[in-house]
Amino acid sequence: MTGQEYAFVVLALVGTVGAVRLVTAKNVVHAALYLVVTLAMVGSIYLVLGAEFVGWVQILIYVGAIVILFLFGLMLTKAPIGRESLDNQQRGLALLVALAVLAGLVFLIQDAFHWGDRKMNLVHNTTGEVGRSIFQHYVLPFEAVSFILLAALIGAVVLARREERE
Amino acid sequence: MNPTIDYHAILPELILSGTLVVVLVVDVFLRPPRKWLAMPLSFAGVLAAFVATLTLIGADRTTFGGSYHVDPFAVLFKVFFLSVAMIVLFLSLRYFREGRYYQGEYYFLLLSSVLGCVMMPSSRDLLMLFISLELVSAPAFLIAAFRKNDPRSNEAGLKFFLIGVLSSAVMLYGMSLIYGVTGSTNLYEIGKALAGHLGGQETLALAAILFVVTGFAFKVSAFPFQFWAPDTYEGAPVPVTAFLASASKAAGFTGLLQLMFVAFIHQAAFWGPVFAAFSIFTMSIGNLVALQQRQAVRLLAYSSIAQAGYMLLPFALAGHGVDKEAFAAAVTYILIYAIMNLGAFAVVVAVSRKSSALLIADFAGLMRNAPLLALAMTIFMVSLAGVPPTAGFWGKFFVFRAGIDAGGIGIALAVVMVVNSVISLFYYLAIPRQMILVEGPEEPMRSPALVTFVAALAAAAVIAVFVYPDLIAHFPPLSTLVGS
Amino acid sequence: MLSQASAETYYQSYAVVLAVLAAGVLLVGVAFLAARLIAPHRPLPAKLTTYECGIDPVGQGWSQSQVRYYIYGFLFVIFDVEAVFLFPWARIFERLGYQAVVEMGIFIGILAVGLLYAWRKGVLKWV
Repeated sequence: MTGQEYAFVVLALVGTVGAVRLVTAKNVVHAALYLVVTLAMVGSIYLVLGAEFVGWVQILIYVGAIVILFLFGLMLTKAPIGRESLDNQQRGLALLVALAVLAGLVFLIQDAFHWGDRKMNLVHNTTGEVGRSIFQHYVLPFEAVSFILLAALIGAVVLARREERE
Repeated sequence: MNPTIDYHAILPELILSGTLVVVLVVDVFLRPPRKWLAMPLSFAGVLAAFVATLTLIGADRTTFGGSYHVDPFAVLFKVFFLSVAMIVLFLSLRYFREGRYYQGEYYFLLLSSVLGCVMMPSSRDLLMLFISLELVSAPAFLIAAFRKNDPRSNEAGLKFFLIGVLSSAVMLYGMSLIYGVTGSTNLYEIGKALAGHLGGQETLALAAILFVVTGFAFKVSAFPFQFWAPDTYEGAPVPVTAFLASASKAAGFTGLLQLMFVAFIHQAAFWGPVFAAFSIFTMSIGNLVALQQRQAVRLLAYSSIAQAGYMLLPFALAGHGVDKEAFAAAVTYILIYAIMNLGAFAVVVAVSRKSSALLIADFAGLMRNAPLLALAMTIFMVSLAGVPPTAGFWGKFFVFRAGIDAGGIGIALAVVMVVNSVISLFYYLAIPRQMILVEGPEEPMRSPALVTFVAALAAAAVIAVFVYPDLIAHFPPLSTLVGS
Repeated sequence: MLSQASAETYYQSYAVVLAVLAAGVLLVGVAFLAARLIAPHRPLPAKLTTYECGIDPVGQGWSQSQVRYYIYGFLFVIFDVEAVFLFPWARIFERLGYQAVVEMGIFIGILAVGLLYAWRKGVLKWV
């Protein structure tokens, strides 16, 4: 194994443990913190693969912003989020579905790429590449994204605002 | 590589975008009693975009390196979406003004969604397609929840949002796999790559197609991904439901048409049967459940699920040598469905002023209280059932003919469709029965002029298309998207 | 494609990041360990109570926060996403010149309208 593969195994293991604890943790705030671990590990795997831009975006947006939003969301709930059990009756079913999805994806991906018989070339210097394709080729979707963000912002303001007698 | 942008080709989008921003900025400075002015402003913008689109008729332009294509197919749907937008604006004015909802924000979000719809039929690139679809859906989640004080509206928005996000995630995963296999996001390039040798990645490609199809199946509420639709339609403001059931659904179908008939056409032998199953179950479940509905919007929701089943049918015929005919049949059906469905919702909007519960029983006596609306509603219901003398008949006829021409499974599907149409008669005629035969309280109903106008216009269109089907059926076959 | 040499420098540059990270973890770990070893250990129940400026804590630690504060979190996410696009933009800014400026100007301009909206609606007032 190369050093890159060692790094991947370590990151993947830590990420998996985080993911498992995320869904088994009884305290939702802890679950949100385990989410940080998992997302950070995914970001690091992108870095190992040479996808520098995507890796840092993952860390900036997901670890930085999305988890904040999660915690905000938790604080809005009325129920005291303590050691109360956050469980429901569908646990077994959910496990079954998750395992089936995992098995299916593992089968598909190993069927298409086979274990280790392909040397993947890494593309480096991706930030510049990403910039070139966004600002030359994908200008229209890029500008459309700003409308999606704007719509989300306006909608959030409308829905979260307290009604005032105007 | 520095592609010049064809500004004429994207003029409708530019006008709409400008209108969006102006509506929002103007709203911020309007005093509350004048907030409704956002509607005429939006209307002016949509009308301008409409005119701009008309100048593109017959054009065949690509821009942004081939990812954005303005061809007859795209122009047809752009004209259609902008027309739907104008109609929904008409339906919204009184509803939102009297309900004292956030009007400027509503029109802004509605137009954002319309912008996504207008971009959709030109998007010939996975990324473009995905962003367009998100632009259609994201504002729609929000306006579905606009009746903030009603828990049902909150439920509508939340369910729609969760399902929409889940389906987007599945679809995006599929798209990323497609990119991984073919190395391109351009639909034509993907079509070429998938036609060739995939070097052991055939199964992955098929699975990826399945993921993408599943994502779209949620969007167009095909069985077994239809369960969100009735709750969302019921809880959302009625004009929003009208928009969701016509434009938003049609946008999903235009995306699906492009993907299936351009990018994935060589795998038709694989996904054809999938669509056949989708089609049969969607129409049957939709119709059977609709039979038991007591609430008008829920009835129309299940009806729209059943109708999606008919629209999915032509997809199942791909690869049977009738691609062009099946494609044209699907497009024709979507257009005709939207007209009659919008008309039906116009009448529901009018009735909702009298009774917000909107039970079918509330339609009793409408024939005496508002004869014009009742007559129009009868026409729409007959048309949705596919009975002459209405446009709905031609819609079903073209799909049916494509099925027969395809032979084999096509004939079986056509038969299932006819059986379903007969079943659907029972519930579609329940509303006219209430309106005409059942005595209701005698109180003349005052309906907003714009709403009555929309209902009358749609009814006239439904009859006119029956008399002269070329009004609509002439355009879809002109599409150059599908080879014979 | 990544050549062998640039792959080396790429991973080497991240090895530095990794080393700094390890040093940071080590520093904190050593400090905690030292505290554990050196400090006297006398557990008292009072030490476990929440510190509230010296007053006995009242009620539960959890309180529901107002939904309006959510908007701040949301604004942060929106502008965080916007900021992400600035990085690749900065990389190609020189090459594309005014075209890039216009494209980014439109993008930020549209989001600025959202900020204008939030400000005019009084959402930005903290209290």
